[in-house]
Amino acid sequence: MMAGIWVVAEHADTALELLTPARQVADSLGGPVVAVWLGRQEAPPLFAHGADEVLVCTHGGDDQPLEAQVPVLVAEALQAQPEAILVGASLRGREVAARMAAALGTGLGSSCVALRVRTDGLVEMDRLVFGGRAVQTVVCTTRPQMATVAPRTFSPAPPVEGRSGTVRTLPAPPPSPVTVVERKPKPAVSGDVAGARVVVCVGRGMEREEDLEMARRLADILGGEVGCTRPIAEEYHWLPEHTYIGLSGQQVKPELYIGIGVSGQIQHVIGITDARVIVAINRDEKAPIFEMSDFGIVGDLYQVVPRLVDELTRALGK
Amino acid sequence: MPDIITCFKWAVDEADIRPQASGEVALDRVGYKISEYDRNALEAAAQLKEAHGGSVTAITVATPAAKKGLKDALSRGPDRACFVNDAAFDALEPAQTAALLAGVIRDRLPFDLILCGEGSSDLYAQQVGPRLAQELGIPCVTYVNRITLEGSTLLAERKLEDGIEVVKVELPALVTVLPDINTPRIPGLKDTLEASKKPVQSVGPGEAGGEFPARLQTVALRATSMERRCVRFPADDAGIRELVEALRKSGAIG
Ligand SMILES: Cc1cc2nc3c(=O)[nH]c(=O)nc-3n(C[C@H](O)[C@H](O)[C@H](O)COP(=O)(O)OP(=O)(O)OC[C@H]3O[C@@H](n4cnc5c(N)ncnc54)[C@H](O)[C@@H]3O)c2cc1C
Repeated sequence: MMAGIWVVAEHADTALELLTPARQVADSLGGPVVAVWLGRQEAPPLFAHGADEVLVCTHGGDDQPLEAQVPVLVAEALQAQPEAILVGASLRGREVAARMAAALGTGLGSSCVALRVRTDGLVEMDRLVFGGRAVQTVVCTTRPQMATVAPRTFSPAPPVEGRSGTVRTLPAPPPSPVTVVERKPKPAVSGDVAGARVVVCVGRGMEREEDLEMARRLADILGGEVGCTRPIAEEYHWLPEHTYIGLSGQQVKPELYIGIGVSGQIQHVIGITDARVIVAINRDEKAPIFEMSDFGIVGDLYQVVPRLVDELTRALGK
Repeated sequence: MPDIITCFKWAVDEADIRPQASGEVALDRVGYKISEYDRNALEAAAQLKEAHGGSVTAITVATPAAKKGLKDALSRGPDRACFVNDAAFDALEPAQTAALLAGVIRDRLPFDLILCGEGSSDLYAQQVGPRLAQELGIPCVTYVNRITLEGSTLLAERKLEDGIEVVKVELPALVTVLPDINTPRIPGLKDTLEASKKPVQSVGPGEAGGEFPARLQTVALRATSMERRCVRFPADDAGIRELVEALRKSGAIG
């Protein structure tokens, strides 16, 4: 007897996104969609977005990390025997999933970017490997089939009016051997590169920090945000870390990406493969970014960008 | 004085990954290297030993061909290495690697602390560390960019999406480290010479105690497709006008 598909997430956005593939998998494999809410905040409207059952974790004191829930989740999964478990691939989610998989003696596809159910009931999972150079497709041959799924891989499941179900509260976990002694939250950030419609990405071709102004002007005209490559954030510290794009940074899906002074190394461009239109401005005609751009201008960004700003101002009537 | 085990992977060098005409990726003519993140784990172990004494054992699970990697690893600070190898270990999935490591460590390597990279630079599944901790029944602290040891208490700073989480744990424990925890040393000639004199314990699969079935099966490995239009415009006023026009036509701008 198959006992449904689990969705495990600590963030509301991810929970709603994971309900999309969970519903698809449940439709082909049968069984209910069970949403396991790991977050400390109140759960989002999980029933409305497709959950048939909701399990809510009971959190201990402030000194308890989220990962303390692993033994409870494992016990519950052993009991319920779900067919598949999809976990939101936040960093904590990745640890939770790996430890659950070890305890359950099952396989886990990590940070998947696509899921497909095969006719034999196995879920094919696509994941990026070799620094983004290749896509590995895996199937999990044991049960439950487990996957962590990167944020923003799926659109949130659409809400349906009048859906409801039962919420069950899971027991409190035993005290964690790892305790939190301090939390230093990241300062609130302005601008969201990951969700922006237009991203102007600054690379090391920019010579001075004050020249960022040029990128800001371009982004402003287009109603976009300024992002960057990793060295701009991690080595130069010109822009905050959450604005760098790529394998170890943000995954972006804008309508338009404009790279200025970006070489286009694989670890960076893997973060922009879902951009609808890619524009590159680089003075080196051999820069790899041109091979993965829709439109390119070989030229000095200090010459090209100000004129592009002028031209856009004229064209957009601003 | 802590006894530290540091795990490393002899990983495919991703720079050698070239698609074939079919779009498949072949792994028969590639170079190997110590996985980038594991270099940080090796360095963290070396620094802890410099500060607190104790011992460092490097361990890897690989095919016999990874012998080269042992000397490389040993030139980065460990006192000795444990080489779990078999010709069949060429495409292990994380559950297998973790189970093999656990089998060998449980029986023959006493430890206070196990260090792993946050993931491997080839497959980047980020599972072996947490799985190994779970298999050994020890606490696990992931995504760490700072470690402090006070006697048998370990303090670690985890760098997570929402900020830094400082955690405390009593040893024994397992920690996975981020690349920004340190800058791995570049071994000099002396380190390399010394490395060749350090002891290496070779362990076969039969000695790891148990079965290690794959739970994940790779059904395809394809090069990432990045095909785009690749239209170029000249860097003059006319070219910039054409670019803006092209953006308008493609619906990318208002
Ligand atoms: C494990 C790993 C993970 C990584 N993860 C990421 C990641 O997530 N994101 C990321 O971005 N990087 C990442 N990197 C780093 C990545 O490999 C590249 O080093 C980085 O993306 C390069 O940034 P860049 O294009 O700004 O700089 P460069 O490669 O130095 O390129 C600068 C470009 O600017 C051009 N240029 C110079 N002057 C001008 C001018 N006046 N006008 C026009 N063009 C000019 C040059 O021709 C050159 O092409 C990672 C690396 C590793 C090993």
